[in-house]
Amino acid sequence: MKGKETMFPKARIPYGTWGSSYFPAWQTSALAEVNIGQFAGEAMNKILGMRKVPKSELEYLIIGSTIPWHWKFWNAPLVASCLGERIPGYHIEQACATGLQAILLAASEIEGGSYNVVSVLTFDRTSDSPVGVFPERRTYRRTEVLADVWDNFGFDPATGNSMIKTAGISARKYKIDREEVDDITFHRYQQYYDTKNSGWFENILVPFDVLNNQGRFLGRIDDDNGVRQISRSTLREMRELDTCITPGSQTHASDGMATLLVTGVEEAKALSLQSEIGIQFVGKLEVRTLPSLMPEAPALAVKKLLNRTGLTMNDMAVVKNHNPFAVNDAIFAKVLDYDWHKMNTTGSSLVWGHPQGPTLTRIVIEALEEAVSLGGGYALVFGCAAGDVGIAAILKVTDEGSAK
Amino acid sequence: MIKSMRQSTLQTLGLGTVLEIFKNGKLPVESGEIIEQVFGRPDERGCLVISGANGIVGAGKAMQLGSRLEPFNVPVVGIDFPGVPDGINRKYQGLVGTFGKKGADRIMANVIRLSYDGGNLPKKLKEFKPRFLLEAIPEILDIKKNHYELFRKNFPGIEIRSVTSGFPGSELGVTIAHPAFPHEINKIWEIVEPEPSDITKLLWALGLVPIPVSDNWSFVLDVLFCGITLAALRYHETTNMPFWKIDKYVRKFIGPNPFRAHDAIGAAGANFLTWSCLHHLSNAYGQLFEPTAYVVERKESGQNWYPLNHFRPLVNWSLNDKEQDEFLSWIQGPLFQMASLLLYERRSHLSHINAIGELCAQFTNGVIADMRRTGPNSTIKRVESYHKLYPEAAKASWFPDVFEKMDEPDWQQLYVNAEHDGSTGVITIGRESYNSDVDSELNRAIDWFHAEGIKNVIVTGDFHLSTQMVGADTRDFFPALKRVEEGIRISSSWSKTARRLHDEFKVSVGYINGKRCLGGFLELLMHCHYLISVEDARLGMPEVTLPVVPGMEGCHWSFRKTNNENRDKILKLLLEGEQVSAKDAVGWLIDYAGSLTDSLQIVWKIAAGKDHGLLKRDVKEDALNEISFDIKLQPADNPGMEVARNAIIETIRDACSTDLVNALSTQAKHSAEFMISDTCKKGRIGTEFKRLMDV
Repeated sequence: MKGKETMFPKARIPYGTWGSSYFPAWQTSALAEVNIGQFAGEAMNKILGMRKVPKSELEYLIIGSTIPWHWKFWNAPLVASCLGERIPGYHIEQACATGLQAILLAASEIEGGSYNVVSVLTFDRTSDSPVGVFPERRTYRRTEVLADVWDNFGFDPATGNSMIKTAGISARKYKIDREEVDDITFHRYQQYYDTKNSGWFENILVPFDVLNNQGRFLGRIDDDNGVRQISRSTLREMRELDTCITPGSQTHASDGMATLLVTGVEEAKALSLQSEIGIQFVGKLEVRTLPSLMPEAPALAVKKLLNRTGLTMNDMAVVKNHNPFAVNDAIFAKVLDYDWHKMNTTGSSLVWGHPQGPTLTRIVIEALEEAVSLGGGYALVFGCAAGDVGIAAILKVTDEGSAK
Repeated sequence: MIKSMRQSTLQTLGLGTVLEIFKNGKLPVESGEIIEQVFGRPDERGCLVISGANGIVGAGKAMQLGSRLEPFNVPVVGIDFPGVPDGINRKYQGLVGTFGKKGADRIMANVIRLSYDGGNLPKKLKEFKPRFLLEAIPEILDIKKNHYELFRKNFPGIEIRSVTSGFPGSELGVTIAHPAFPHEINKIWEIVEPEPSDITKLLWALGLVPIPVSDNWSFVLDVLFCGITLAALRYHETTNMPFWKIDKYVRKFIGPNPFRAHDAIGAAGANFLTWSCLHHLSNAYGQLFEPTAYVVERKESGQNWYPLNHFRPLVNWSLNDKEQDEFLSWIQGPLFQMASLLLYERRSHLSHINAIGELCAQFTNGVIADMRRTGPNSTIKRVESYHKLYPEAAKASWFPDVFEKMDEPDWQQLYVNAEHDGSTGVITIGRESYNSDVDSELNRAIDWFHAEGIKNVIVTGDFHLSTQMVGADTRDFFPALKRVEEGIRISSSWSKTARRLHDEFKVSVGYINGKRCLGGFLELLMHCHYLISVEDARLGMPEVTLPVVPGMEGCHWSFRKTNNENRDKILKLLLEGEQVSAKDAVGWLIDYAGSLTDSLQIVWKIAAGKDHGLLKRDVKEDALNEISFDIKLQPADNPGMEVARNAIIETIRDACSTDLVNALSTQAKHSAEFMISDTCKKGRIGTEFKRLMDV
């Protein structure tokens, strides 16, 4: 990985063959009513159609989700059937890192030579997440009942702490200032709304009309419902739930899907919306930090990845992260000595919500689209995940046509 | 010497012209006599054998033919392999629904089932004296040929017809009678034979609709139906649009649901047949018909095209104007190109090619009518734009020159023909519902008679493709749901056409020879000076049930032709929407009802200016005296019907209280205004519009 090499020389992401749904907050849209695996499959098919990619090009499907959905036993082949193509594949799950990990695994499938076109499809529905019942005869309660999203957020069985607790602990460790956290939050909202008002999201986010069982209109998914304009003073007035953590400076649960393709070199040229653009994988790294310090884990992962690749933050054209807490960005800025204003220029999951599986996929898509609009360069994408894990990856966007 | 605008479709069956039917006062072939020719005299009656009788086609046709042959004591012997699932018994409930239990039992008792091992015919078969074999066994050429040989050896002189559409007759060594649909309801049979045979005439005499087509790989129906399926698949494979949504757009613009149809017929069999048809066609005609990977896959898997119920589609798709135009190039382009091939090879009479699309392939307008509406240049452009999308199709089987003849009568008179003998003419209408195409063609037929100096005319069905007259094609009303001007245009122009039958001929006779004559068609024919019907036809004005206000002068014309005592009957007809028997409508709605022979003869007497004994009921041209609406009606079925009743009453009142000249526009205005009302939009036409057009 050392020295700006690419970790998967044979793998590319064909430019523009991606897309994401909007991420409506949980219980605010028709996505709360549907089988999200089916929705994701059908939505991916439509996105590919819009990008002029016949689904028959797909050879393999990697799906990523974290919340059980109806018929999940049938895995990627079932989702593939929903998108209308009988291809094999598998499911991966790594909490909030799922979206990035799925893309990296797709690249490794290409690198291994098994396939030339691997599709990545990540999705989750936090609305009405299922409740699991676990018989555990050794325990006092004998039967544990677990609401998949909320009970997991609230309790890391390995440490006994909640997600929000890890943010508070990390904020104290790094002596983060509440005012700075509010400023970061406010700035991220500004970035999001500036981007939204410019129409830039329309390149990436696809609206969908959802149908009911009778084939009639059920609802339109055309906005990140739940995101509201927020003022600095409102943020300041919010009550702290833990150190530096307020309702405003943390993300919210949402529903959605995001998809992209990973292919071989020739296939990328054939399928790309602009064949002169090349997108490669430079490197990837994960760390697991000390118990209950999840928000620092991504910063540590990035630091280590830069060290391994020989790159610096100054080499990065685009920096984006999954930041469920604004504290994450404050810690990252401190650890990497980086100006947080320069990152997440199109907003981030702190603002537009967190459907878990597809969150980092949308971030990768936004990062690549932004890198292309800047004329290329390195895109650093990173985020935290359950278990005090941080994941980071660097992708390289080049204009191969002009290089020739 | 009979002169006609174009060849009558009846002539393609060797049955002469329609005018000859009236002149002779009888049909060209009676069922009793043709049955005797095919199956022998009653004392030596032979049987019909259907091999593969438990299959989907065999069982369906055993019921269709069995129910028609039973009154003539012609047994139907179904032979099939032992142990195959019983397809015939499954049809029993359907028979009960149509014929009642006694009738169904009688028909079933006339169906004899014998087992057949594939190599030897059952010994008992001989007892039934087989005279006609309808072969419906699997599509394997050698097996079929051996089967025919076996029958010929055992029963020399037997008539053999294959139901196949997968092989030309030249390959099989027998002629073909290919039913358009496997079930017992659809009456269309594609017939492949060098000259019209007794079997074809038998089918016609039994009330079925045989249509001669030429001897090629796949006949007209399969080219159109498999062709549109293939076109839809190519669009799917390029855009990813799901099958169910493509179906909705194909239905909106062309008419069929090709994928749904495969599932409804039974995907396992239908997928194979579509693949087989396309495979053979592509071998003969190139890439235009090349089956796609999805057809091949589904041929193997037998998988349905629509998702299972628990995966009903979630994500909707839509097309903007540009995408819609491209969609049409993908769908209409190949369809028009395939039609150019059918025309180039003269595979059938143009009206037949057109009718097969409408009556069998679910086309809203037949492909010939569709191209005619599009015009020759735009038709060619549409195909060329398809070639840009799919260049392989341009390499073969494209004959744009055939569109140069679009102005000729064969193209221009698809539904309406006219024949005359120098003094008396007949206008025949070969479409069961009246639409703007029929209206234009009818006007051209009237113009032609004027040019030919014909003053006496009969207006009727075509004794072939149209077996009834069900009224206006309500799809033509869709634009009128949104714009009152459209409603006025349709109502006025159609009424003006109808008035030509009254105003522009010395004698005009409307003749109802099918099962029923309803709505717009009844309004049209009541404009004739005389209206004659076979006695068992059902007549009605069901508009109030849709609901709409009758638009072709139904709300005043019949009042102007009858006396005060009969007005209540017309009111009931209009306000209840119930049908009446023709024989009960004599004197107030029609002028005569009788047996087929009697009615044919009286029509000819009137039209030819002979003594017929009927009094002409003149149309009162002045405003009528006040009409009383104080009648007892059955309660309305629904609130919409109640609103429509009031609108019809208003229309009657206004149209009858003015003179004949002004009544046309009064009627049209009322009809059009009702059409844009919420009541109409919530009714059958509005619902249909939403279902078909609002995709």
